[in-house]
Amino acid sequence: MKIKGKTCSFNYILGLVITSLVILIVLIGFFYTPYDPNKMNAALKNSPPSLSHLLGTDNFGRDILSRVMKGAGTTYIIAVAIVFIGALFGTIAGALTGYFGGWFDEVLMRFNDVLTSFPSILLALVFVSVFGPGTYNIVYALGIIFIPSYARMVRSEFIVLKERDFVKNAKLMGAGNFRIMFVHILPNTKRVLIPSLLIGFNNAVLAEAGLSYLGLGVQPPQASLGRMLSEAQSYMLDSPWCAIAPGLMIILTVLGFSLISGGLENE
Amino acid sequence: MSKEEAILSIEDLTIGFAKQRKMNTVVDHISFDVKKGEILGIVGESGSGKSMTALSVMGLLPASAKILSGGIHFFGTNLLNLEEKELRQLRGTGISMVFQDSMTSFNPLLTIGAQVEEMLRLHSKHTKEEYRALTLEALTEVGLPNPSEIYNRYPHELSGGMRQRAMIAMAMITSPKLVIADEPTTALDVTTQNKILQLLKKMNEKHGMSIILISHDLRVIQSICGRAIVMKDGRIVESGTVTELFAHPGTEYTKQLMAAVPVLFSRSDPGQNEASIMGLKENANTNTEKKDNNADQSKRQEEILVIRNLNVFYPEKGIVFGKKGRKQVIRDVNISLKQGETLGIVGESGSGKSTLAKAIVGLNREIEGVIKINDVAVKDSEISVSRPQMVFQDPYGSLNPTKKIGWILEEPLKLQTNLGKKERMAKVNEIIHQVGLTSEHLERYPFQLSGGQRHRVAIAAALIVNPKLVILDEPVSSLDVTIQAQILGLLKDLQKKYNLTYIFISHDLNVVFQMCNRVCVIYKGEIVEMKEVRELFFSPQNEYTKELLKSAMATV
Repeated sequence: MKIKGKTCSFNYILGLVITSLVILIVLIGFFYTPYDPNKMNAALKNSPPSLSHLLGTDNFGRDILSRVMKGAGTTYIIAVAIVFIGALFGTIAGALTGYFGGWFDEVLMRFNDVLTSFPSILLALVFVSVFGPGTYNIVYALGIIFIPSYARMVRSEFIVLKERDFVKNAKLMGAGNFRIMFVHILPNTKRVLIPSLLIGFNNAVLAEAGLSYLGLGVQPPQASLGRMLSEAQSYMLDSPWCAIAPGLMIILTVLGFSLISGGLENE
Repeated sequence: MSKEEAILSIEDLTIGFAKQRKMNTVVDHISFDVKKGEILGIVGESGSGKSMTALSVMGLLPASAKILSGGIHFFGTNLLNLEEKELRQLRGTGISMVFQDSMTSFNPLLTIGAQVEEMLRLHSKHTKEEYRALTLEALTEVGLPNPSEIYNRYPHELSGGMRQRAMIAMAMITSPKLVIADEPTTALDVTTQNKILQLLKKMNEKHGMSIILISHDLRVIQSICGRAIVMKDGRIVESGTVTELFAHPGTEYTKQLMAAVPVLFSRSDPGQNEASIMGLKENANTNTEKKDNNADQSKRQEEILVIRNLNVFYPEKGIVFGKKGRKQVIRDVNISLKQGETLGIVGESGSGKSTLAKAIVGLNREIEGVIKINDVAVKDSEISVSRPQMVFQDPYGSLNPTKKIGWILEEPLKLQTNLGKKERMAKVNEIIHQVGLTSEHLERYPFQLSGGQRHRVAIAAALIVNPKLVILDEPVSSLDVTIQAQILGLLKDLQKKYNLTYIFISHDLNVVFQMCNRVCVIYKGEIVEMKEVRELFFSPQNEYTKELLKSAMATV
């Protein structure tokens, strides 16, 4: 198959279709939901999917479709923010350490090693228990935990690329270090950086869902995919639709992005 | 050509690649025979189909390539009808191959001995001790010193020449009837190149196996082949004995190929050479005298580069936070260069040529001694407009792959001048035409250009800031001969036009002879000889220079 003259794999196309579908749902959710996602209705507790409530209602009688639309949006925004923090600082740190090397590299990389030597979720738990639960705190916590993987990747790319002749050429032209790093070298890392941003987004979605599921992230009554799963837990057997909808949304998101990043890497 | 003695005969072979539902033919109805015990050369530019022909004989064509017609008969059996299993048996015992790049063709994680022995294990049955003995014998035969030591070495621990010898040992150990050598010497420097070719010839004489030698270099073909085939665009344009081909090239293309080979100093017979040299020498002498007289008036003879007592070091990696050591690469070098001159720097790989170049342009600051460019010491001239520019060996590496050509050419102007956007674009447009390309190329990325075009861009990028001194590091060694000639011509034209000074680094003595006024020979970091080009080539004093020249002559 072909897009803009490039041959693309079936998986890549499938990923694009799934992802655009999921993003479309979320975008609509920002402006319109069938019901107010937080409005409770005691008369409709745990009612199964019907024409008026397509995906049913939860134990407070809230419309699940509306909550998935809104909640997925919350989860996405949090995930994007996490990846943004991780990738931005990770790239800067990786670029500096990879390009300059020396003691600076040693210090930053040892710090990196310390961060990576703890399980990331555990670190996030510590952070949240110190600063208290809440949306902003999990963004900070997970963002910081995401930094090392980007730093490491960008650093190793920089170490290879800085020896290439075009970098020497740029030095001969009189380009300064920062111009070489960010104008000449950085665009060359996009081949590995872009797929890893997509994978990072996936991981962030999963991490948010995990922390919110534990009750540390998004606080009720606000909806997020993890929050919804956590609330659905007690009613799993009686009203499984409460868990299926947000679970499916997470699976589709992760699957779509994985397929795309796989396709990009194989290019 | 009688059928009886032909061990391989290719009949009407056509190979194509499926590209957007159309067939793109790369080998077009070719037929030829390889006789028993002969060395057949196949010569042509890259893209002429010579490698595809070789791979089809081995049954190693890429999956996207299809054989559209014809047959490959080896001792009467058509290889195209064989099962994969039978083919595998044939590879090795019947036909084996020597590849261009010995670094990537060996498995880096296995020792040389294990890999050579593997070939034997696959195709014969012996005891463990016999395997080892046979392998050691093969390693000895290809002229490797201390075979029992080499046996336990890993590929990266050997030099390029030694690896190539090991690969020949691997190809020959099963005594195949036919060896296909695909550009076996292209990655090596002249001295080693010659030795490898002589080794191939020796093995051919001793074991009577036939060899197909594929090369883009006519000199390589001429040195050991009996017969040669010239290919172009997938077709055989000419074939015959090498002596015939060289004496009376029948087609325009062969003539072009031969003319493109920059052989001057050793083609004609010695006597004639001597005479012409004497004449030229006199000319040269009178010329320099004239120039000297004019020197005061015109500034043409102004000294542009002075290097005094230069030592260059290579920092060695210290342990974490440890003290860093350094290794001396260049020892006590003195050079002075006048504007408009071309100085050639020759030497084997590893002799310090490139290190010297890097020190001159300021990429290596671990130096002691004086480098003055336009009377300014290199250390002070951090950003000066007249700083020297460099053209690297491989423009694919020296042009940023993520930027368009236009951006690449504009960048030095952004950094070194205060020109506005419009003026910069005007200059970019001017230089791109100067190097023989068009404005259309500005919108392309480096990977969308051919090798020759990329070289032109690299030259343009170096010249756009009007440097006086340009350092060319092996500027043409990765190119086909015909394109090589074009690029050398372009460099000469530009030199005349802008009164440029070149430092020309190369291991190819023919190119150096053609381009340079003066040559300095570097051996192990020291200048062993520096003279006018003709004087150096025809009456070398130093032993190393003599050897270098001898091996270069021998490949011709």
